[in-house]
Amino acid sequence: MSDMQYDAIIIGGGHNGLVCANILGKKNKKVLVCEARENCGGMVNHEIINYVPSVPNSVSQSIGGLNLKYIPKGTIALSESGKHIRLIGNLHLDHATIAKFSTQDADRYLEFHDKMSQFSKTLGKFMLDSPPRIMNNNFSDYAKLFKLGLNVRMLGKKRFNEFARMIGLNIADELEDNFESTLLQGLIAHDSVLGSNLGARSPGSLINLLYRMAVHGNSLFGGIYEMEGGSESFISALLEKCNRNSVEIKTSASVKNCLIEDDKAVGVELHNGEKFFGKTVISNADPRSTYLCLLGAQNLDTDVKRRIKHHRSKGRVAKLSLELKQMPEFNDCDIEDLNSRMVVSPSIDYIEENFNPSKFDKLSSEPVLEICLKKDKDSNPSLDIQVQYAPYRAHGGWENIKEDYVNSIIKILSKYSSNIESCIESKTFITPDDIEQNYHVSGGHWHHGEIQIDQLFMLRPIPGAAQYRTHLDGLYLCGAGAHPGGGMHGISGKNAAKVVLGDL
Amino acid sequence: MNSDLRFSALKKTPFHSRTSLASRTNKWYTWNGFTVPTEYSTVELEYTAARNGTSVMDLTPMGKYEITGDDAHLFVDYLVTRDLSEMKDNTVAYIIWCNEDGKVLDDGTIFKYSSKKFMLCCAVKIFNWLNDSAEGFDVGIKDVTDTIAALSLQGPTSCSTLKNYGAHDLETLAPFEMKQFTIDGYNVLISRTGFTGDLGYEIWTDPENAESAWDSIFEAGKQLKIRPFGMHALDMTRIEAGFIQTNTDFMAAEDALRPVRMRSPYEIGMGWLVHFKKKNYFVGKKALKLEKEKSTTERCLVGLDIDGDKPAHGSVIYNEKKEDIGIVTAAMWSPTMKRNIALASLKRPYGIKIKDNIFAEIYHPEEIEYRKIWAKCKVVKRQFYNPERRNKVPADLYE
Repeated sequence: MSDMQYDAIIIGGGHNGLVCANILGKKNKKVLVCEARENCGGMVNHEIINYVPSVPNSVSQSIGGLNLKYIPKGTIALSESGKHIRLIGNLHLDHATIAKFSTQDADRYLEFHDKMSQFSKTLGKFMLDSPPRIMNNNFSDYAKLFKLGLNVRMLGKKRFNEFARMIGLNIADELEDNFESTLLQGLIAHDSVLGSNLGARSPGSLINLLYRMAVHGNSLFGGIYEMEGGSESFISALLEKCNRNSVEIKTSASVKNCLIEDDKAVGVELHNGEKFFGKTVISNADPRSTYLCLLGAQNLDTDVKRRIKHHRSKGRVAKLSLELKQMPEFNDCDIEDLNSRMVVSPSIDYIEENFNPSKFDKLSSEPVLEICLKKDKDSNPSLDIQVQYAPYRAHGGWENIKEDYVNSIIKILSKYSSNIESCIESKTFITPDDIEQNYHVSGGHWHHGEIQIDQLFMLRPIPGAAQYRTHLDGLYLCGAGAHPGGGMHGISGKNAAKVVLGDL
Repeated sequence: MNSDLRFSALKKTPFHSRTSLASRTNKWYTWNGFTVPTEYSTVELEYTAARNGTSVMDLTPMGKYEITGDDAHLFVDYLVTRDLSEMKDNTVAYIIWCNEDGKVLDDGTIFKYSSKKFMLCCAVKIFNWLNDSAEGFDVGIKDVTDTIAALSLQGPTSCSTLKNYGAHDLETLAPFEMKQFTIDGYNVLISRTGFTGDLGYEIWTDPENAESAWDSIFEAGKQLKIRPFGMHALDMTRIEAGFIQTNTDFMAAEDALRPVRMRSPYEIGMGWLVHFKKKNYFVGKKALKLEKEKSTTERCLVGLDIDGDKPAHGSVIYNEKKEDIGIVTAAMWSPTMKRNIALASLKRPYGIKIKDNIFAEIYHPEEIEYRKIWAKCKVVKRQFYNPERRNKVPADLYE
């Protein structure tokens, strides 16, 4: 048996990998992080995301507190007519804002917000913790499941029925039942489908919204907190902790496969042939890569291969970054408004028409957009634009259609900003396919796999691999593919560390 | 042409013109979509041919899969529980394969032509299982069920029959070996394999040679008590030999509706085919290892020697306190050994540690009425019948 150099080897230095490394390092475990790219951080990167939301306290505390500052960020649902809806997260003020469009919608908005907050809180505790696993016949697992059941039941008969009705519902039905403003419908529907492979009318599109609310502290359309300094400050804070916790980090260290001895993971082999041995191996890579590449299809039972091949993980979000020569002007927006998250999603039908071609790997000429302006004192401003429903593999090949697509996005932008075209200095466009190539995430999915009822909780990523363990002893999952999912909160990294510590 | 789908949906084997001519009873059954005889004349005559002459069975409906490619050997070793890493070219091995829970899916035989070409034979269709298992291996899987005609020749004179047919020096072929022959101008693969527990061979050729091969073989065996042989007689011979049959002696894990009916290799007497020491992972290894370590095996499949001469078909097995401890999965009066034998699935420790004071409740049919018999059983080796000639090299020859 090879002598063990490390207690844990973590494959991938994304935020979850770093959170996990820090918790283990803090407990005086010898940890090595192998990152394939030149820098750590993975998809927590301005190339992919618009902003970093707040990190849950439980995660921050588990690694001794992260000194991070947050700035509140409002949301503007842009309208071609200039009658934008501005939400800031203060329910009283938001009520007044919506009332300008419709008093009925304003009241309904409060009810809807209250209901969704309550449901997401009910799920929240469950989301933050390790999921139960019934097959273990473990008392605490049953207790956990019982508690969730109890929490749901404690909502009261009326809300319980409502919860049961909504859990598999599509968001469009719920919004159309409540609101008459198509712009407000479009905004909330946008936040429900963002990052997923679903349209607003697809069954199950509502649970994506509940998930996002649960992991981001119940606030979404409006009341967001953005991390000051963005992804750089988040990752550098984690790296600083790593340094303090004596976590060893190797960058440009791409892992080829997991080393297996006596049906147990004992280390990793890099593409350059270097080998490292450890008592445990923790994968921050997506489940499909972890199973089929790191663990290897030859070491998996047929049934497991079937399940991992059915795992849905095709990304649907592209990112357009525009470097600007000067500040753009958005129609009927003041300079304060430009600090907000600006959403181009004027109606549910707009989303659906956008979603339809993506089912056939085709592109819509009028995409759904989320726009954030970035301006530093000493550099030129830039626009970060998330483009929903950009297929993973586009019909005709991304390389042939990329340019036309980018132009169509800018054309949409110019409906809301008359001078945008003259402001553009340079453009960078990243497709889900690029994310797969550049960030080693199969499918290029934000969450390393769809957030859907069949891929959540104890079923995430696949049955038999819940609770951060894989089918191979000694190999663990700590990334977004594990429970609860993606979203830059580090919960899976934290929970995985707890499981590994218990086993070490 | 018959336009009724009930008939046209059934496939005919390449031997159909011959088997239908030989059928005196018009008793047929469906096997993997083919129609083949259950009995040609009487089950007793056919059984006797297998034990005293040569029996000929149309094996064509058997699921046959060709596995080719650079990883073919690795893949086959991964698919089954047995260690096949040392398997030699031109040999055959008996195998079982399991699902991830370590429950048996089926048993069969694997034929190795070279490290890049194998043929897997089994009673049921398993193309999807093979294809899904092949993920990660450089192999191609082809269903060759319809493109290979196969006959099984079993019995003491089978070697002589095939020698007369044109298979020179066949007697030197050892059990579980195979060899290519050119007979009457066409290629025939002959393997020393079978399902009767006696000297026997299986022959494999292109469907276009089937009728000619059948005619030549029957001509060659004319003086050697050759006789066509159906499913019912096969069932008798296989019980005597102690061979298990999927979905009779145990439920295939993919067919079982109740999870408790699924069986691990240890529960059907196939533990000897599970090799943890082999270098690479195999499907079901994790679960089987756990079962072995934690001794969670619940049942066993044993041979029973039962008092009296009334076969214990479907009998419930009891201990001396009349507690239900298992069931008979196959039973018969063995004409060769003059013993009342059965295969039974028992709840452990019965059959393993406790082998005495076991009783079968037999319901013997006597013209519409049943006679209830309480018969004492003895747990014995499953292999009731195992003549010396079965494994003898060179094989016995007769004139």
